[in-house]
Amino acid sequence: MNPEFIKTICPYCGTGCGLIIKVENGVAVATYPDREHPVSRGSLCIKGWSAHEFINHPDRLTSPLLRKGDTFQEIPWDEAIPMAASKLRETAAKYGGDSIGGLSSAKCTNEENYLFQKLIRMAFKTNNVDHCARLCHAPTTVAMVQALGSGAMTNSISDLAGAGCIFAIGSNTAESHPIIMGEIYKAADKGATIIAVDPRETAVTRNAKIHLRINPGTDIPLLCGMMRHIIDEGLHNEDFIRERMEGFENLNEFLQLWPVKRAAEECGIDEEIIRNVAEIYAKAKESAIIYCMGITQHACGTANVLTICDLAMLCGHVGTEHSGIYPLRGQNNVQGACDMGALPNVYPGYQSVSDSAIQDKFQNAWGSTLSDKPGLTVTEIIGLAGKNIRAAYIMAENPALSDPDTNHVLESLKAFDFLIVQDIFLTETAKFAHLIFPSSCFAEKSGTYTNTERRFQLLRKAADPPGNAKEDFEILCLLGKALDLDFSYKNSSEVMDEIASLAPAYGGICFDRLERKGLQWPCPDSEHPGTQYLHKDRFTRGKGLFVIPEHTPPKELPDESYPYYLGTGRMFSHYHTGTMTRRSSFLNREVEEAYAEINPEDAAHLNVKDGEKIKITTRRGSIITTARITKRVSKGYIFAPFHFTEARANMLTNPVLDPGSKIPEFKVCAADVRKESQDG
Amino acid sequence: MMLEKTKDIARQILEEKKAGGVFGLMKNEWNIIQPHLFEDPAELANLVLEPKWLLAKLAMRILRSSPENYKLAVICRGCDERALIELIKRNQIEKENLLTVGIACSQEQAAICLCERPYPEKLDAGEKVSGVDPFQDERVQKFLTGNDKERMERWADMLKRCIKCYGCRNACPICICDPCKLEDDVWVQRGVVPTETVTFHLIRAFHLSDTCVACGACQEACPVNIPLLYLQLSMRKTLREKYGYEAGIDPETRSPVLSSVFEKPDTDREYPAWINSLGEKDES
Ligand code: SF4
Ligand code: SF4
Ligand code: SF4
Ligand code: SF4
Repeated sequence: MNPEFIKTICPYCGTGCGLIIKVENGVAVATYPDREHPVSRGSLCIKGWSAHEFINHPDRLTSPLLRKGDTFQEIPWDEAIPMAASKLRETAAKYGGDSIGGLSSAKCTNEENYLFQKLIRMAFKTNNVDHCARLCHAPTTVAMVQALGSGAMTNSISDLAGAGCIFAIGSNTAESHPIIMGEIYKAADKGATIIAVDPRETAVTRNAKIHLRINPGTDIPLLCGMMRHIIDEGLHNEDFIRERMEGFENLNEFLQLWPVKRAAEECGIDEEIIRNVAEIYAKAKESAIIYCMGITQHACGTANVLTICDLAMLCGHVGTEHSGIYPLRGQNNVQGACDMGALPNVYPGYQSVSDSAIQDKFQNAWGSTLSDKPGLTVTEIIGLAGKNIRAAYIMAENPALSDPDTNHVLESLKAFDFLIVQDIFLTETAKFAHLIFPSSCFAEKSGTYTNTERRFQLLRKAADPPGNAKEDFEILCLLGKALDLDFSYKNSSEVMDEIASLAPAYGGICFDRLERKGLQWPCPDSEHPGTQYLHKDRFTRGKGLFVIPEHTPPKELPDESYPYYLGTGRMFSHYHTGTMTRRSSFLNREVEEAYAEINPEDAAHLNVKDGEKIKITTRRGSIITTARITKRVSKGYIFAPFHFTEARANMLTNPVLDPGSKIPEFKVCAADVRKESQDG
Repeated sequence: MMLEKTKDIARQILEEKKAGGVFGLMKNEWNIIQPHLFEDPAELANLVLEPKWLLAKLAMRILRSSPENYKLAVICRGCDERALIELIKRNQIEKENLLTVGIACSQEQAAICLCERPYPEKLDAGEKVSGVDPFQDERVQKFLTGNDKERMERWADMLKRCIKCYGCRNACPICICDPCKLEDDVWVQRGVVPTETVTFHLIRAFHLSDTCVACGACQEACPVNIPLLYLQLSMRKTLREKYGYEAGIDPETRSPVLSSVFEKPDTDREYPAWINSLGEKDES
């Protein structure tokens, strides 16, 4: 008896909604919304309401596992930890520290991410540490740092409700960040114009005032056409540009290349509509831009984000309460994992590993020599498996489903001399491990997550991990100690204090201050109230910079052999690699099997009926999946969610990388589709 | 004042063992407010009454997973009391196992909720304030006036925002059917958003037509701000005007919808066989 109610944070998306977990006899049995939460205010999406469902699933890992041939054998922690330490040490001794790679996790807490990168950097003197932000918002970080000086979402979620125009491009907010969609509607109810740009029809485009169904990969032409028209009409914010910007002349000159007519041709939208949306965006008192994977997951991802920054700054729509640029973060703690330096080129707080003053600071603080050479990214660590990278430690990431060109990833995962995977389930990636550490989920740990609006929030422990599984924090401390590091932290609060002492932007953050509302960084000292929106009177980099975007069309376009566009993405009831949602009965009942969306005309042409099997093939591989016939996709375009292990959309995706940020082009590749004969 | 009085009553209940626990809101050492089952009088120092937080459904779950004779006291606003009464009527809670500590709402709260009765019938702490007539509210009028076509358009526009979170169902203190019709493929297609407007939203609204206590929990849980309470208001009004019935006021009066189905009908009307979702067992 005696149910307890524990307030914590949703483990799914970067919105960071507040949950109340109901615990009966030590078991998490239900989830309720937190009426007091500053973002979600008593609401949740279907995933939040179901967040407890996977926790007690019988598939949870409960003991360290050691590979024996094709099977795994349970071993005790006091064997597992020393074994991991000695294997990693041996590898580093034989091939050098740069032969070790670490993948940290956007699902884990800030403190765990901090310890993870510290462990890899200190123990092996390498910066080969990265995480799945590479696959979602790496272009954001690169581009926004270049243009504004900070890669973070500029404003707060609740600021959206006051915007006069919301321009949502490449974001299916209603399915991927549902609670943020509520703020968009609040703005709409107050009279804001909602403009949605997406090649697909989504709940966002259906509820927008204007939907621009552009050709895939033509975001830059659209945005350039808009900017050109804004300047031609004199709608740009001259005062703002004069006082706060540099590079306007270059931009203006570059935009000569983009008359609206050319833009219209490239993106397949009427000139008149482009002019109209440009005017609405520019003229509104405050306009906000929301974007997501539809912008970043392209080989020109960085250029896409730069163009968005250019548009916002051209109109002076940055640095006020209800304007701004909103890159919506995917994972619950992807913001935090970046902030904590789980990136190959920066320490916590985006402090460059190549800056010698910074290097000194961390060497002194940690009492260790450190490498000043930027490390390798996720895709490189996996791609170089068995070559430059001989051993890897993967904490709660699932590249076997999440990374492009799965067949190649699977080959790579086999090629490590030693692979350690730490996770709560035997994921597709864990199956390749030599050693598995069973860890804990969000409800079984304390620590902090940082949501998409830079808000540090306290996660509170509701239940114990199952069996012999341990908190990631404890595993990291044990492994650290076994590697002779001074990892004698008593709790995650102590780790947070260390983070605050080393990263000025989080200097004022400590557990005692987070209480019920959390704190938004920058929060430099213990008196600072946190920051609702950035770049108020001055950009983080001083002046804002207009950068000329280079428009590169998608690297692989439909041709005779592969006549369809293929894009991947998410849907409302599943999350990423499905590890958690497919083990949640209420979520799984919505969609139990893999599917791909296809336009009725294409389906008729292929003689495929709704619910029949189709085979999608690209130059990388093929999958067999179920056709869902819908006008949500235009003719010639196939959409495949990537949550499903039985038909992995990433078997198909193109691993070409954006040169600036090394994000793969998940959103566009060329595919062929055939009806799959039922009998074989 | 009201808080101190409530604490006193709660303390008495625990000390005199009139109930095994008092269910209310607690502010913990982190200043976090959340529902809490107080079983130790010493904890009552942390009892708080704000914000509005419907507890009836949680209380029902506690009672249902407790030993048979476990008694629970619930700190109730008006809507919570009314919801508990409906749950008693629907045989979800044993009347004998429930105590209520009734508290009054403020005038501001009543205005926010558009509440006609911002107090419980059994008021133990606080002063009654007068209710609000929701039909005088502009926002309500916007959705409930105009011709059919206009109203339909306005609602369709709102309902197509639905992201199918099931929050309205989950949050409603009286939405408790198992299995739920919204999880039946016949009515609600799986795997797509938004849901079919008519089946999803109108099934939910009609299933609660005569039990809805106008607490507003559905609307407050809706992430996309659909004014779900307004859908219920006109049905409540009809029941009151045509049958003199209001849900949640006293445990004895049965809903006219129930009595006209189960008690001898006053006409020779025949009811189609599928009207059995109210819990009548099929004899065959
Ligand atoms: S919107 Fe995101 S954070 Fe909020 S409940 Fe849904 S998945 Fe969780
Ligand atoms: S609905 Fe009425 S009784 Fe309930 S909280 Fe609001 S004002 Fe109080
Ligand atoms: S107002 Fe909504 S939540 Fe409250 S009883 Fe009525 S239908 Fe249920
Ligand atoms: S709460 Fe709102 S969004 Fe959620 S299912 Fe109900 S109507 Fe739809």
